[in-house]
Amino acid sequence: MSSPDELARDTPPPYKRRRTGDTPSPRSSSPDILAGDPDDFRQPPRRVSQRGGGLSQSPTKAQYLNGFLRSQSVSRAPSESVPRSRSASSSGSRTRSQSPAHSTPSPAATPPSRQRSRSPTSTNQSRSNSFSPEPQQQLTPPRELPKPNYKARLVLHGHTKAVSQVRISPNGRFIASASADATVKIWDAATGAHMDTLVGHMAGVSCVAWTPDSNTLASGSDDKAIRLWDRVTGRPKTTARKAGQEMAPLRGHHNYIHCLAFSPKGNILASGSYDEAVFLWDVRAGRLMRSLPAHSDPVSGIDFCRDGTLVVSCSTDGLIRVWDTSTGQCLRTLVHEDNPAVTNVCFSPNGRFVLAFNLDNCIRLWDYVSGSVKKTYQGHCNKSFAIGGCFGVLDGEAFIASASEDGDVLLWDVKSKEVLQRVHGHEGVCFWVDVHGETMVTAGQDGSVKVYRHVRHSGELNGNGTKTESKAPGQGMLQGELPIRQDDVKVEDVMSI
Amino acid sequence: MNLLLSDDYLLQDYPESMTSTIRSGHATMLRFNRTGDYLASGRVDGTVVVWDLETMGVALKMRGHNKSITFLSWSRCGRYLLSTCQGWKAILWDLQTGHRHREVRFRAPAYMAELHPWNHNLFVASLFEEQPLLVDISEPVDVKRVLPSAPKRPNADSDIALKEKQAKEDAKQMTTSAIWTATGDHIIAGTSKGKLNIIDAKTLEIIYSEKICTGVITTMRITSSGRDLLVNSQDRIIRTFRIPNLAVPDLDPDTIQLPLEHKFQDVVNKLSWNHVTFSATGEYVAASTYNNHELYVWERNHGSLVCMLKDPKEEQGVIEWHPSRPLLAACGLETGRIYIWSVISPQKWSALAPDFAEVEENVEYMEREDEFDIYAQEEIHRRRLDAEDEDVDVLTADPTKDGEDLANFRMPILFNLGESDSEDEFVAVSTGTMRRRSPGESQADLSAGAESAAPVRKKAGARGGKGKKK
Repeated sequence: MSSPDELARDTPPPYKRRRTGDTPSPRSSSPDILAGDPDDFRQPPRRVSQRGGGLSQSPTKAQYLNGFLRSQSVSRAPSESVPRSRSASSSGSRTRSQSPAHSTPSPAATPPSRQRSRSPTSTNQSRSNSFSPEPQQQLTPPRELPKPNYKARLVLHGHTKAVSQVRISPNGRFIASASADATVKIWDAATGAHMDTLVGHMAGVSCVAWTPDSNTLASGSDDKAIRLWDRVTGRPKTTARKAGQEMAPLRGHHNYIHCLAFSPKGNILASGSYDEAVFLWDVRAGRLMRSLPAHSDPVSGIDFCRDGTLVVSCSTDGLIRVWDTSTGQCLRTLVHEDNPAVTNVCFSPNGRFVLAFNLDNCIRLWDYVSGSVKKTYQGHCNKSFAIGGCFGVLDGEAFIASASEDGDVLLWDVKSKEVLQRVHGHEGVCFWVDVHGETMVTAGQDGSVKVYRHVRHSGELNGNGTKTESKAPGQGMLQGELPIRQDDVKVEDVMSI
Repeated sequence: MNLLLSDDYLLQDYPESMTSTIRSGHATMLRFNRTGDYLASGRVDGTVVVWDLETMGVALKMRGHNKSITFLSWSRCGRYLLSTCQGWKAILWDLQTGHRHREVRFRAPAYMAELHPWNHNLFVASLFEEQPLLVDISEPVDVKRVLPSAPKRPNADSDIALKEKQAKEDAKQMTTSAIWTATGDHIIAGTSKGKLNIIDAKTLEIIYSEKICTGVITTMRITSSGRDLLVNSQDRIIRTFRIPNLAVPDLDPDTIQLPLEHKFQDVVNKLSWNHVTFSATGEYVAASTYNNHELYVWERNHGSLVCMLKDPKEEQGVIEWHPSRPLLAACGLETGRIYIWSVISPQKWSALAPDFAEVEENVEYMEREDEFDIYAQEEIHRRRLDAEDEDVDVLTADPTKDGEDLANFRMPILFNLGESDSEDEFVAVSTGTMRRRSPGESQADLSAGAESAAPVRKKAGARGGKGKKK
C-alpha cells in the first residue's frame, strides 16, 4: 500500500535538481529525516528527507534529535505541551461521558493503521492519479476531479521542540512557525531557506499571525506577552517615539496566550488566552482596545471574518461566540448539543460559515446565522490537542484541511464531506496545517515543519492547465454525486499499478 | 457582515448620545471616506490626520500645509485625499505612502476644493475673492481653468445701462462653495450673493442659475444618491433642494428646475448655523449652531426637528455624518476636539445563551412530537450526519458590495505614530522640562515632518522589494 505513495513522491523531478545544488552532503543529513518520519519515508522517500535536511539550516543533527526526543517524552512541561494537554484534560471529562456515541461512527477513533486501510478510497485515488498518468488519462478524462494532490517537498528542521503553529504569509512567500522552544522562525516558502529566528519570548510560543501585508508578525507566548515582529529586519517592531526603540510587547493577559488573529485591514489584533478573555488590540498604538469577557475556559481559537466586522472565538467550554468588532458585543453563541470542547475555529473564505474543531474527532461547519451545523467532517483523530486547520482553495474548489493527532493531514471536500487526500505529515502529533493555494505546510510535535506542494496531474501539466481549471467547479459537483463510480475508477488504477 | 446577525439595533438611525471624543491637535475640518472606516481631520497647524474609526486611533499624519486646513476631500477609492489650507495651496495626498502626490498653488486662500467623484486628478476649487477653478492634475503641469461666477442671464438685447449695471453686480459675485454632482458631469456652485449656479463641467458654462437666498452660501452638500442638495447660508436658514436629473441626453438648460423642499431654521432663537450635513441616506439633516452648544437633527420627510445633541460644553464647528452608520462627528471650535455621537446598541442577552430566546410576551410552548423520545447516541449522530445534505457555499461572497470593498485600497499600518498628541503641543526644552508650543512654531515642523515620514518610505520600499535574507 505504501509503494504507490513512495513512487508518487519521487515523481516531481525538478525539485530534486534544485535541491542538490544546496545540499552539501545528502547522506549525512539523512538521520534527521529518519528521526522525523521513520515509517512512511523509509526507502525511496529518503530523497525527500535529504532535500529537507540539506535545505534546512538546522543547528546540528544531535541537537535536533535531542530536541525531538525531549519534546516527545520528557519535557511536556515547557510551554507548548502544557497548555495543550491541559485543554485535553478539561475536555476529557466531557467527552468521556459521550464517548461511546462518538467512537463508533468516527473512524478516527481507531488506531492509525486500521484507519488507513479503512479509508483507502480517497488516499489511493489521489496518489494513483499522479503516479500512473497515462492509463488513467484514458480512463477518466471526463470525470477527472480537481482533487488536491499535495506532495511533501521540504522538511524544515531547526526548532528544538515541538512546533505549535505554522502559518503562510498572505502573499504566500513566507512561512512562520512558532515553537515550544520559545522562538518563531521565518522560512522562505519557495526554497525552504531559513530566513530568521525571532528570539525574545521567555516561554514557548503557541501562536503566530501575519498582518495582511505580510510585513509584520505577531506571536503569542506562554510568557503572557504578545510580540510584534518586523519580518524584514527580523527584529521587534520599532516605534518612532524614540528612534530605534523597540515596541514594548503587548501585555495584559493574565495567562498563556493561545491564539491570535489580525483583522483583514491589519489594524486590530485579536488574542485569546488561558485567562478566558479575548482582547482586541489597536496594533498601531500597541494599546488594549477592548477586552471581551468571552468564555469560562481557556480561549482556544480566534478568527476575523473577511470584512473585519466579526470576530469568532471558541473555548474548551464548548462554546463558539461571534462578536461584533466595533461594539464588542456578543452577537451569537453556537453550541453543539453534545457540548464537545472546541479547540480551534475559523471563518470560511466568504465569511458566512464558521469551521470549528471539536475534541470529539469531528470538525463542524456552522452556519452562524441560523445557528446550525451544516457539515461534520470526520476521519481524523482529535481527542486531546488543540490542533488546527483551515480552508484551502484549489481551482476554485474549496476544501478543508486539518491536522490529525496520528501525524497525518486530511483534506475534505466541503460539500460531500469526503476525504480527498490523506497525507502523512509527522511522527507524533501534527499540530497545525496551513494552506495557501498550492502550498501546504504542517507543524509537528517532532519539531519539524513540512512544506507540501500541490502536484497537478501530468495531463494538466502538459499544457491544458487552464482548461481544467475552468472545468473544475462542475466536476466538483459531479464528484459529490457519484462517489461510487469514483471508487471504481480508483480501484482500477490501483490494479493497473 | 455583522449586519447578518444584528438587525434590531438599526432601528434608530440617528445618533442619540456622545460615545467618544478623540483629539489630535486642534481640528478644524472633518471628512469621512466613502466607506466610512477612516475620518480625516485637518488641524489649525496644517497637519492632516487620518483616524481609523475601528480603533479610534490615528492611522496617519501628514504634514505639508502650514496654515489652518479649510477643506478635505477623499477620492472614491480612498487612496487619495485632497486638502486645502488658508495658505493658498491644495495638496493631494497619497495615503499609500503618506506623502504628497501633487501640490497646487493658487493666487488666494481656498475655501474648499472638492475632488471629482470618479477622477482623483480633477478637482474644483473655490477661492477667496477669486473666481473658482477647475484644476486638472493628470499632467505633470496642472491645468487650471476658470469657472464663471456671474449668473446666467436671459439673452441680452437690453440697453447698455442695464448691461453695465449687471456687469458691476457680476463682478461682486464670488463663488464661495462649489461641489460636484454625483455623476461628475456638473458643478453646483453657490455665490456670495446667494445665487446658485449649475456649471457644465465640459463646456464650463453656467447652464442654470437661480437666486435661492439673500446671504452668502457657506456650505453645500449633496446626498450620496446625488438627488438632494443641502445649502447653508448666512441668512440663518438651511434649505434642501431636489436636484433635477442632469444626465438626460438632450438636456435643455431652460427647463431645469431646482425645487425647494424644506427650510430649516430656529425661528425662536434666530440661530445661525455653522455647518450642516446630510445623514447617510439623506433622511436627516444635522447642523451645528453658532454661539451655541447644540447640534440640531431634523428629519427630512416631514421637516421636523428630531433631536438636539448637547453633550459637550463647547460650540461645534464642522460636523460630518458617517456614510453608512448613525454616527456624527463634530469638532469643537475652542479645543479642537473631535466629538463622536452614535447609538449604543444594547447587548442581546439571548445571544450569549443559544438555548434561550427573547420573547415579547409569554408564549405557550408547543412540544415537538419526538422531543423527548430517547434514541441511542449512535442513532442520533447518524441522523445528524445524514441530515447534513445541504449544499454549502463557502467561497462566494455576499454580492451586495463586498467585492467592491475588497478591491479597494488598503491603508498601510504604521507603527511609528505617537499614540498621544503631546508631541504636537509640547516641546522638550531640556531634560524634564517641557513648554507649550507657540502657535506659529508649527511651521518649523515641516522638516520634522519629513523626518518622521522617512521610516514610512522605507517600509513602502521594503514591500515592493524582494524579501531580504538575513
